[in-house]
Amino acid sequence: MGIGNVLSNDKRGMIELGAEKKVGWDEVTHGMVLHSFEDDATNISSQKAEDRNYAQFNSYVATVASWRVVKPVYNRDICIDCQNCWVYCPDTSIISRDKQMLGIDYDHCKGCGVCVEVCPTNPKSLLMFAELHNLEDAIASWPEKKKKEEN
Amino acid sequence: MVEIRWHSRAGQGAVTGAKGLGDVVSTTGKQVQAFALYGSAKRGAAMQAFNRIDDEQIITHEKFMLPDFVLVIDPALVFTDNITLNDKATTKYIITTHLSKDELISQLPELQNKKDRVFVVDCMQISLETIGRAIPNTPMLGAFVKVSGMFELDYFLDRMKKVLSKFPQKIIDSNMQAITRAYNEVK
Amino acid sequence: MALKYELQEVEVWDGNYAASHALRQAQVDVVAAYPITPSTPVVENYGQFVADGYVDGEFVMVESEHAAMSGCVGAAASGGRVATATSSQGFALMVEVLYQASGMRLPIVLNLVNRALASPLNVRGDHSDMYLGRDAGWIMLDSFNAQETYDLNLCAFRIGEHRDVRLPVMVNQDGFITSHTAQNVRPLSDEDAYKFVGVYEPIDELLDFAKPVTYGAQTEEDWHFEHKARQHKALIDSRPVIENIFVEFEKLTGRKYNRVESYMMEDAEVAIVALGSTVESARVVAKYLRDNEGIKAGIVAPRVIRPFPFDAIRTALENCKAIGAMDRSAPGGALGMLFNEVSAAVYTTSSRPIVTNYIYGLGGRDLTLEQIKDIYRELKKNADAGEITTKIQQFVGLRGPKLEFFETRRG
Repeated sequence: MGIGNVLSNDKRGMIELGAEKKVGWDEVTHGMVLHSFEDDATNISSQKAEDRNYAQFNSYVATVASWRVVKPVYNRDICIDCQNCWVYCPDTSIISRDKQMLGIDYDHCKGCGVCVEVCPTNPKSLLMFAELHNLEDAIASWPEKKKKEEN
Repeated sequence: MVEIRWHSRAGQGAVTGAKGLGDVVSTTGKQVQAFALYGSAKRGAAMQAFNRIDDEQIITHEKFMLPDFVLVIDPALVFTDNITLNDKATTKYIITTHLSKDELISQLPELQNKKDRVFVVDCMQISLETIGRAIPNTPMLGAFVKVSGMFELDYFLDRMKKVLSKFPQKIIDSNMQAITRAYNEVK
Repeated sequence: MALKYELQEVEVWDGNYAASHALRQAQVDVVAAYPITPSTPVVENYGQFVADGYVDGEFVMVESEHAAMSGCVGAAASGGRVATATSSQGFALMVEVLYQASGMRLPIVLNLVNRALASPLNVRGDHSDMYLGRDAGWIMLDSFNAQETYDLNLCAFRIGEHRDVRLPVMVNQDGFITSHTAQNVRPLSDEDAYKFVGVYEPIDELLDFAKPVTYGAQTEEDWHFEHKARQHKALIDSRPVIENIFVEFEKLTGRKYNRVESYMMEDAEVAIVALGSTVESARVVAKYLRDNEGIKAGIVAPRVIRPFPFDAIRTALENCKAIGAMDRSAPGGALGMLFNEVSAAVYTTSSRPIVTNYIYGLGGRDLTLEQIKDIYRELKKNADAGEITTKIQQFVGLRGPKLEFFETRRG
């Protein structure tokens, strides 16, 4: 959802959570052990998520987009790339590359709103909208900069 | 099968004595068992240890036994424990005491018709004078070797040295003295 | 490199010390343990071997038995050969983690030195703790003396670590009666023992950074049943593997083990089924009764309690007439475990021998040879009458009025 435009070859959110292939008792893994990657993962930490060959039971592959009722919308024009949202997101759903904010991982974001809470810009670069709210309409309705209140 | 019951207090080394005896007996090709009735008993509590010796593998695991030998390594237990429990007409008693055999038997009516099967030795005094502590188990082994006639003293000493080989030489030597003295002094 | 330990051809070891030497010879990588009587010396001696340089392992001190088994699970998942020991209350505290170990298919070896469960508090032996763990998905081996405790520990590593099995293994021995009774034990040399046990080959180890894995994933309704079914099948299918390893062990030592041990059963009319040291005491009695009273007595004993030897125990018992299943555990409002499982097995034979249940030896109460004689004599009466002449369940060696329950309706 959306992110495919930004990153290619990405296995992110390919299937609905729980829609993995169900196999019989004779085919389940030994000891319920789940492998994270399909092939040799030596030095995988130096690879970007979208380049990793995630295994089918890795939660990266599953989408939970349907769990969300409100979503954060990101406004590139205001963002200062401070990375606060990236640090605070509990579901690693802020996509950032080379300290540049790219957008929201809508496959794993649950709409908790923490990113909006910690955004320091004025106006905020992230705001919560209803899940079905059109992204362009959301950007068009972005609020103006608030003036400092005079005491 | 030869069955032996030790009467002791926890801490006096009856279990170690029974296991040491088992170790030596095993070197003669015989089968042994050494166990004890203890558990959460504290140091000083009366307890019993047991040996079984046989030519065949010992597969009986009942605690009940009709002892051939009763070894009492604490001088007070003859007055408080029932040392003649489940005895036979041939059961031999080796009792640690500072009393003479006649003095001891005069105070223990249950031993009066068993006089020829009662032997006394002062394991406490011997261990104090040789090992330097009241550990009466090794002297009792010396007395047992004499009374049972199961081994030559030299054979037993030689094997016991191997059993104790992990200890410093001084401790091995004093234990050998204790065994030898009790062997010579038991009456 | 671990130092060489000098061993005699015949050692006089108790069951605990025998187990410690087996762990040393298997060169266990990690022992995480918390001490409890009567199992303490197993891990205490292993700790001494580590301190003295006789094994290149780690002794991990923990704050409880729950933590001990958790440490074992972690170390085993990380790719180590792992063992520990416990008894009674400690085992009870471990139970939760036992299911984790078997579910994750980790071949941990646990020495369970059988002891009664409180209350009332009691450090002595019965099989309450063994029975408590019987559904935990572990392979359970039972030794009847110190030699067997040593032998079965070596076999336990081979069985659990076998690629077709990969399950944790418990080695049971009777608290005090076996664990603290020194007897003649013939150990293998360190070289022969290690060669038999073999080098540990980890599977899916957490510390393999080329293949990261998740242990203990949540399954819920979608996957749980399939995984438990596969685990059960692995346990049932371990039977031939166990038999093969026993055969290999016999070739090495001359000592033969079977999933079910049978003594004097060729022509037996009456049989006792028991566990632990009682099996050996019953052999003494059976021989006596054959020689002196003409009672054709035999003994059948599960060497492997889990997987339950339904097949082998049925074969061993189907030609006798009356069976006494002897349970050394408070049955908690039921017939004893051995009674239930043996009855189920012989019920599927055409001969359907009569089975009765004896509860005995709780909290370490001595079982004398005389009492075993009386049990055989009762079984003989049942065999002659062709029906149960007593109540089905009786308590043996108990003070006070006779305690017995349930009558047969077969006659």
